Amino acid sequence: MFVSRSMIRKVITIDKNIDILDAQEKMAENQIRHLPVVEGENHLIGVVTDRDIRSALPYSIFKKSDCSKARKKVTSLTVGDIMTEKPFYLSPMDTIQDAILLIEQKRVGAFPVVDENDKLVGIISVRDLLRAFSNVLGLGEPGTLICIIIDEKIGQLKKIVDIITEEKIGFGSVLVARYWEEGKRAVFPYLLTNNVSRVKRRLKDMGYVLLDPMQWYIDQLPGNE
Amino acid sequence: MKKTGFLYDERYQLHNTGNFHPEMPQRLKAIYKGIKDAGILNIVSLIPAVHADQSWIKTVHDLNYILRFEEACLSGMTDFDCPDNIMGPETYEVAMLATGGIIDIAARIMKGEIDNAFCAVRPPGHHAEKNKAMGFCYFNNIAIVARYLQIKWGIARVGIVDFDVHHGNGTQHIFEQDPTVFYYSIHQHPSFAYPGTGREFEEGTLAGMGFTKNSPVLPGGGDTEYKRLLERDLFPAFDTFKPQIILVSAGFDAHEDDNMSDIRLTTQAFSWIMKRIVEMADKYSDGRLISLLEGGYSIKRLPELAKDHMNVLMNG
Repeated sequence: MFVSRSMIRKVITIDKNIDILDAQEKMAENQIRHLPVVEGENHLIGVVTDRDIRSALPYSIFKKSDCSKARKKVTSLTVGDIMTEKPFYLSPMDTIQDAILLIEQKRVGAFPVVDENDKLVGIISVRDLLRAFSNVLGLGEPGTLICIIIDEKIGQLKKIVDIITEEKIGFGSVLVARYWEEGKRAVFPYLLTNNVSRVKRRLKDMGYVLLDPMQWYIDQLPGNE
Repeated sequence: MKKTGFLYDERYQLHNTGNFHPEMPQRLKAIYKGIKDAGILNIVSLIPAVHADQSWIKTVHDLNYILRFEEACLSGMTDFDCPDNIMGPETYEVAMLATGGIIDIAARIMKGEIDNAFCAVRPPGHHAEKNKAMGFCYFNNIAIVARYLQIKWGIARVGIVDFDVHHGNGTQHIFEQDPTVFYYSIHQHPSFAYPGTGREFEEGTLAGMGFTKNSPVLPGGGDTEYKRLLERDLFPAFDTFKPQIILVSAGFDAHEDDNMSDIRLTTQAFSWIMKRIVEMADKYSDGRLISLLEGGYSIKRLPELAKDHMNVLMNG
């Protein structure tokens, strides 16, 4: 669950004296949108994003990305001029949950990761967190998702797990989400099988409500209710 | 009227999946009964199974996988590669008979003995990957027969239509880089159904880019959605591709009374779909078409579905 497990370790960095157009090229070449700015021994002094660069360029120049000579004449800005100084960063021992909450709170797409010796050791972006979440969802592993509505009381999940286990079905993942109805939870077992009809019938016989797939959600934005 | 073949063999029932498995021998009994009771058996060529030549299976699966499967079966294992794939001592032999029977059908079609055929085989095949059994499938029958037709009979363009309610991951992966085999599948959306692949943006890779097409259908969808998506995605694609033979992964589990999915196709819609596929075969492939059984678990509905399927093959 630690950031160190999900971050990219081979960080592409940049020097503050580099021309912003060169920085833009570096991002394009590597298909990235954040460049940590370092000096000395990988000491983090700032972050520059593709958005910072676009904001610094007149629109016409940004559009004509091919005439680089003309572009160079127009701007003499360097990375140091436009970067965010003293950027917010995470430690390798922060958790993925920390990262998700902070990315939401700070409204940024990525955080540099700095260790206790003040050295840049990684970068973690929204994409890395999505990869972790896609793993949790079991994407890429063959299986079937079902959704069961349970009362929010102790022991409910055990009964479900027992039935599924009796059917000799393996779990890819189990998500438990808040449900709109008070006192209820939505449980999403991801079952590693093609064969769910029997287990669904047994759950229904036990009195569980299987939610119509068209009503499933694991997130609902406020105001969408 | 067309000369239609019906591949059926009692030995296909010997693949024993135990007492509670949906992919059970009774499925074939139901199919046979539906066709027999309709009086169709006197009109069609009833063709029994033959053993597959291993060299054709090797065009799709690694030898190592084939041997691993045989070994698992001989040593008395009761499942293979995943708990879904329940097997008995006869399973390997039955799988060889399924693939072999279909290859024999393909040869008969190419020789002009029959125009088209329905192969009521077990075990099914479209989930089987090159090196992995899954989703009740062991040998990828449709992929093997596609390769057979290309190698033995010089067919340049094979068109596959897969209307089983689950995406045929195995078939897609085997041909995703290959522009000579067009794989089209319509199925329940992978976020709501096994095996979790077959999204709209999966369109093939490298040289095969544009030769895979998927139409996912949301839970609750039925005749209207299927017709709309087939008109939009399949027919124009095959108009351009012009397959020289059409192979069909015929799964009947999208039926409204089949509890393996949340899709609600009516019996009539299956006939409509098949009719349109037969029309395409007439247009591009001299009528050459092989339909292979994949899923379909409603013992109650399989007789009528199989009967109608045969009728469409015979009469268009």
